[in-house]
Order: sequence, then structure tokens, then C-alpha cells
Amino acid sequence: MAPSRTSTVKSKHATNKSGIKNSKTSTRSKSDGVSKPKSAKSKRTQSKGVSLGSVTGKGSALNKLKKKRRVYTEKELDIPALNMITPVGVEKPKGGKKGKVFVDDRESMLTILAMVHADKEGQIESKMMKARQMEAIRDARKAEAEKRVEERKDRLDEAKEGLRKKRKRAAAEREEKAGGGVKAEAVAGTRPLRKRKSVSFA
Amino acid sequence: MRPLTETETQTLFTKLANYTGNSLKNLIAPLENGPNADRYVFRIQQSRCYYVRLSIANLATSIAREKLLSLGTCLGKFTKTGKFRLHITALPILAEHARYKVWVKANGEMPFLYGGHIVKAHVGRWSDDCPEHQGVVVYSMNDTPLGFGVTARSTQEARRLDPTGITCFRQADCGEYLRDEDSLFATS
Repeated sequence: MAPSRTSTVKSKHATNKSGIKNSKTSTRSKSDGVSKPKSAKSKRTQSKGVSLGSVTGKGSALNKLKKKRRVYTEKELDIPALNMITPVGVEKPKGGKKGKVFVDDRESMLTILAMVHADKEGQIESKMMKARQMEAIRDARKAEAEKRVEERKDRLDEAKEGLRKKRKRAAAEREEKAGGGVKAEAVAGTRPLRKRKSVSFA
Repeated sequence: MRPLTETETQTLFTKLANYTGNSLKNLIAPLENGPNADRYVFRIQQSRCYYVRLSIANLATSIAREKLLSLGTCLGKFTKTGKFRLHITALPILAEHARYKVWVKANGEMPFLYGGHIVKAHVGRWSDDCPEHQGVVVYSMNDTPLGFGVTARSTQEARRLDPTGITCFRQADCGEYLRDEDSLFATS
């Protein structure tokens, strides 16, 4: 009992200092005093370990994310397909002059030909359309000019006719005014002659 | 000697399409039915474009470039600016696939073959609905191709033209075989 008591005394201090009555450590301290500080240390280390562990866990997740971002495709890495030595002459220089690309197969030539032909066809069609439109405009203009000429001719003829009629009318009026003039004789014929005679001698 | 690039092919076909119709695609049609049938191809040798059978073009690879003078039918030459000039040697190919034609009377043949343009008085007949500045192949009245050129007027306008008016501008005529004998096949 005595060693236990001593131990309890020691433990009493410890329990008082710790201030935890119902903790496992306090109960343990009653039974075994030597093991107590060890257990406390271990507890501390455990608690520290747990806290550290939690921190390290978060860090590892971040690291994982970072690692995920840095995943390269094989193209990016530019690794040759077969890991073998390529002679200097065989390897093509990157980004240099690529040289001419020849068209010698029938399919690609036919494609180019079809494109060219469609283009030409469109051009010819538009030319024809334009020519037809111009022709129509020209015809319309020609018809209009002809109409104008005809109109002018008509007007001229009308004026001529008017003048002719006017002259005739004037002549007739003059005749009327002249009364038994020489002209009246010529127009009237023989009958007015007699009349004149009768008039003059009457 | 090499095949044509894409732009060169396009330039060549655009030029040929001025004179020919849709039948131009028969130019590159295979001669027989079969996977390895012979066909005609275009080849460039010292800026001149040749229309030649593939089998002959393959044989010609055994001749040094500077020694190879000509092969197949010469269609014309590519200028340094990348344009294409048709030569009179292309006439048989153009005549075969011609779209618009002009026939000249017997009295107009010699003036044309001496390098003159075609006046209306010399035209025997022409294709209907031909627009202005359109490539045409010139034939004699007995359907012998004489050369090619471009129309100066459309068919409708040319009808109203006076007899001395130019209907077709000459581009190439068979007289060139004699007139340009020295430079027609010489490469330098």
C-alpha cells in the first residue's frame, strides 16, 4: 500500500495540476504512477500527431491537385514513337521550308477543275445577263428615239399643212375682197362675165 | 520535270476554261478501265507546261533536266509572275473541247494566219450567245482549227457592226509555227 500511497501522493500532485478528475489518466495514476507521465507524453504526441496529420492530409490533397494539373499528353512531351536513334540526315528540321505540294492525283485535280469551272460558268452567266440587260436598255432607248423622231415629223407635217391651209384661206379671202376681179373671172368661168357686162352697162 | 502545284493547276485550268466547256475533265480521264490504267498528266519542264501520258513522263525521268527539250504536247508557259500563257501548240487540245467557235471564210484565212484580227466581213459563222471578251477557237469553214482569240463584241452587238469592225482579237494562230519557229520550242 505504501508505495502505492507515495505514488498516489505524486499522483495527487499530478491530478491536481492536470485538473481532470474523471480522466483515464487520473484513474491510471492510482493504479500505476510510473506509467502516467509516459501516457501523458504519448497523449501529447498523439494529439500533436493527429493535428499534424490533419495538416499534412490537406497538403497532400493540394499536391494531388497540382499533380493532376501537370499531366502531360504524349504529344506535349514529344517523345519519339520508338525509342531509337534517328540519323541526322533523316530527321526533318522543324518549322523550316516545307517545299512544294504537288497535285498529281486525279481526284484533287478534278476538284480544282470543278471549282474553276463553276467560277467560269458564273462569270459567263453574269456576262450574258449583263449583255442582255444592256441590249434591253439599248432597245428601249432606240424605240424612244424613233418615237421622238416620228413625233417631230408629225409636228412638222402639221405645221406644213397649217401653212398650206392658211395660204389657201388667205387667197380665198383676197378673192372675196377683190370681188369681180380678174381672178374671179378665171374662177367663175363664163357666167360672171355676162353678169359683169350687165352690171357695167347697167 | 515536275508535276504542277495546286496554284499552278488552278491557274492552268482557269486559262483552259476560258476556251473550253465542261468536257475539259476528259483531259485527265484515264485512258482505260483499270486500277493502273495510263492517263494524261501535266508536267513542268523549264517553266513550260506539257500535257503528256504518265508512262512517257515516267520514262522521261531518266533524262537529265537540262538535256530534256520537250515531251508530250506543250500547252504554254508559266511566267515569272505565276500567270500562264497558252501557246499555239495547245490548239489541238483546245479545239477538241472548244465551247465557243468562230468560222472564218476562205478570204479571211490568210489575214488571220498572218497575225491579223478577225473583221466582221471575214466571219462565216459564229456560236450563238457568245459574250464579250470570251475565249474562242477559230476554225476555217471546213472545220480546220486555225488559232484562238477573244471576242471583241458579243454576238448580238457584232451583228450591228460594220464589215470592217473587229469581232475577234487574235491571240495565237497557226502562222506562228513559221513566224516564231526559233523561239517556239527553244527553252533559253
